[in-house]
Amino acid sequence: MVKMLVPYPENCTGCRFCEMACTMYHEGKVNHADARLQVHRRNVKVDFPSVCTHCVSCGEDCCVAHCPVDAIKHEDGKVFVDQEECTACGTCVEVCPFGVMRMEDKAFNCDLCDGDPTCVKFCPTKAIVYEEPKPGQYEKVKKLLEVEQ
Amino acid sequence: MKGYTGKILKVDLTAGKSHARAFDEKHARKYLGGQGFAVEIVFHGVPKGADPLGPDNVLAMAGGLFDGFPVPTGGKVAFAAKSPATNTLAESIMGGSIGPELKHAGYEALEVSGKSESPVYILIEDDKVEINDAADLWGKDTRVTPETLKKRHGWDVKVACIGVAGEKLSKIACIDCDDRQAGRAGLGAVMGSKNLKAIVIRGTKDLVPAEPEKLLEIALRYQKIYEAAPSFIEDTKYGTGEFLGWVNKEKGVFPTRNWQESVFKEREKIDPYYWAPRYVTKNKACFSCTKPCGKLFEVKSGKFAGVAIDGIEYETLYSLGGQCGNADVESVARANELCDLLGMDTISAGVTVGFAMELMQRGIITEKDVGFKLTFDNASDAVPRMIEMMGNRTGFGDVLADGVKVAAARIGKGSERYAIHTKGLEPPAYDVRGMKGHGLAYMTSTRGACHLRAGFYAPELVGKFWKWEGIDRFSPANKGFMVSQTENFMCVYDSVGLCKFSRGFFLIAKLPEVIEAITGMNYTEDELLKIGERIHNMKGAFNVREGVTRKDWLLPARILEEPIVDGPSKGSKISVDEMNMMLDDYMKARGWTPDGTPTPEKLRELDIA
Repeated sequence: MVKMLVPYPENCTGCRFCEMACTMYHEGKVNHADARLQVHRRNVKVDFPSVCTHCVSCGEDCCVAHCPVDAIKHEDGKVFVDQEECTACGTCVEVCPFGVMRMEDKAFNCDLCDGDPTCVKFCPTKAIVYEEPKPGQYEKVKKLLEVEQ
Repeated sequence: MKGYTGKILKVDLTAGKSHARAFDEKHARKYLGGQGFAVEIVFHGVPKGADPLGPDNVLAMAGGLFDGFPVPTGGKVAFAAKSPATNTLAESIMGGSIGPELKHAGYEALEVSGKSESPVYILIEDDKVEINDAADLWGKDTRVTPETLKKRHGWDVKVACIGVAGEKLSKIACIDCDDRQAGRAGLGAVMGSKNLKAIVIRGTKDLVPAEPEKLLEIALRYQKIYEAAPSFIEDTKYGTGEFLGWVNKEKGVFPTRNWQESVFKEREKIDPYYWAPRYVTKNKACFSCTKPCGKLFEVKSGKFAGVAIDGIEYETLYSLGGQCGNADVESVARANELCDLLGMDTISAGVTVGFAMELMQRGIITEKDVGFKLTFDNASDAVPRMIEMMGNRTGFGDVLADGVKVAAARIGKGSERYAIHTKGLEPPAYDVRGMKGHGLAYMTSTRGACHLRAGFYAPELVGKFWKWEGIDRFSPANKGFMVSQTENFMCVYDSVGLCKFSRGFFLIAKLPEVIEAITGMNYTEDELLKIGERIHNMKGAFNVREGVTRKDWLLPARILEEPIVDGPSKGSKISVDEMNMMLDDYMKARGWTPDGTPTPEKLRELDIA
């Protein structure tokens, strides 16, 4: 079975080390807006991570289905953006239920760091785990995110 | 200048204008960041004799050098201003995420001067800076305020704000961000005096370290070091109150019932070993902290049902607990929540309530004055009730709303004798009669009685720290030199933005490696400590300029005259001779005159002008 990032909002302390580690690993800088996952810190009771689930959460492939130029592919359990074909229209960013399709010059998303996700390595409380997908955990995050809409 | 944003933002609330100024590498090398930057802004920006609650005072906020970068526990922000509580240059450090966000917006520090005619908040979105109307937020608590602003500007903005206490210029008012507080010395009132309700920031700029791979390697290494430490499990399970039992029972220096006792006999009922398994539903952390000591404490039933706080911290277990004889942990939590919501420092607020309780015990004030039984044996009800009155300045709460020094002056009738403070700031949770060097640190702290300007409780309670071993907490010998050294140490810590709970892992000698990975700049341990010395001397020089000298530093009568009555430290006090000996030693170690004035030679040596 393919492994994915699984969020455990109940373990998240809101420290946001995962976001920093993400862009440090990929771009050698810190920028939370470019991190391929997001920590939401809403109030004293609620902080949680939202991760790219590579479209296993509901099986609908939102970004893949909605991309007007078919630049987003879903192959071997991985969702990725073909940088040649992407027109940076922003549709995928809008439709991603987890809010983790990012946009700079082109759209991009989590690449699981070639099988050794940096965010998981740095999370001190196991709020993000690299393991078999857990649909129930994705649903928890979706529900939390709905408040922000 | 890698790792630095290179800019300081100034907002003038009188003129309604803002502009950013550049700083150079020389400035960075002189002050590092965080506290260093904030102190520099106040030192040079506040004119002599300025009213702390007038338009001439300046509020500085600066992210630490490590803020925004992945350094475990390195995300602290420093606020500074002339304190309305002490009339000294006071800084207050907090966690939360506002410091890193300020740096992502492109600024190392924010300087707020002047005074708005009506309530406003400052909105910073990278280069865009606005001063917006806050009439609808005035009177709102520290949870409703950020929630309203986040709904308006997006959930990702960061908000630092004041509560009603700050609006009403309480000299013990704090600044809040992410349920963390810059609590001490009344900086919330400085915001309130400027009609500034909140600072809202969204930063989207890159922070680029000089050596990204090296920095990530350091981050992972320290994270592992933390995790392997024996204290890690206890701290993350029980929070900062983890050592309450030890301080109380083994050392006997836990101030109780307004410092009449030093062992709280009902300690077990407020000990985190009791409450953590019953009330904590989640761990909380400041930005970039990988050893979360924050606890989400929730009360699900009973008369305090609905209470939900990030706490209860060690200091608050003392101030709203033992200090008030309050053994009801749910009541402590509720009082803590009220302090947070109304925006009052829990230490100062709790010490003030305990002070008033002793006054009622002695008949100096009566039930008729207060309106109810403000007594140690009625603490569970009385503490939250009085905190609410203080925050809102209603009834007798108005008398107590500015801390013990002002309250004693208002009440008179010999109440000064029971007002425990130095320089006008209420002391934290260590009975210094049984830890004499820490008593010296209460006096030398530039912002008044404080456990973190020198952090000297740890060396004295543990018996060793840094370069010293065999430290005797009952001896005044050599403490002047040691306290001056640890003060410099802490100034460096607050400037890089590290949490002081990391100081056992990250000694100053370990910092140059991290600073180099971020900035590419080289420092030796001695150079960093020199910066710390500079920062402390600037605060010292500022305070003398404002007329605060040795005569104002002295310990309260109770500590000098009444020995500890019971427990492991029984019989101990700091005598007047011991106090003067430690102060003389300290002044010598600092190169200051006996009355606490930094000499011209010292200022020249440190390049302070």
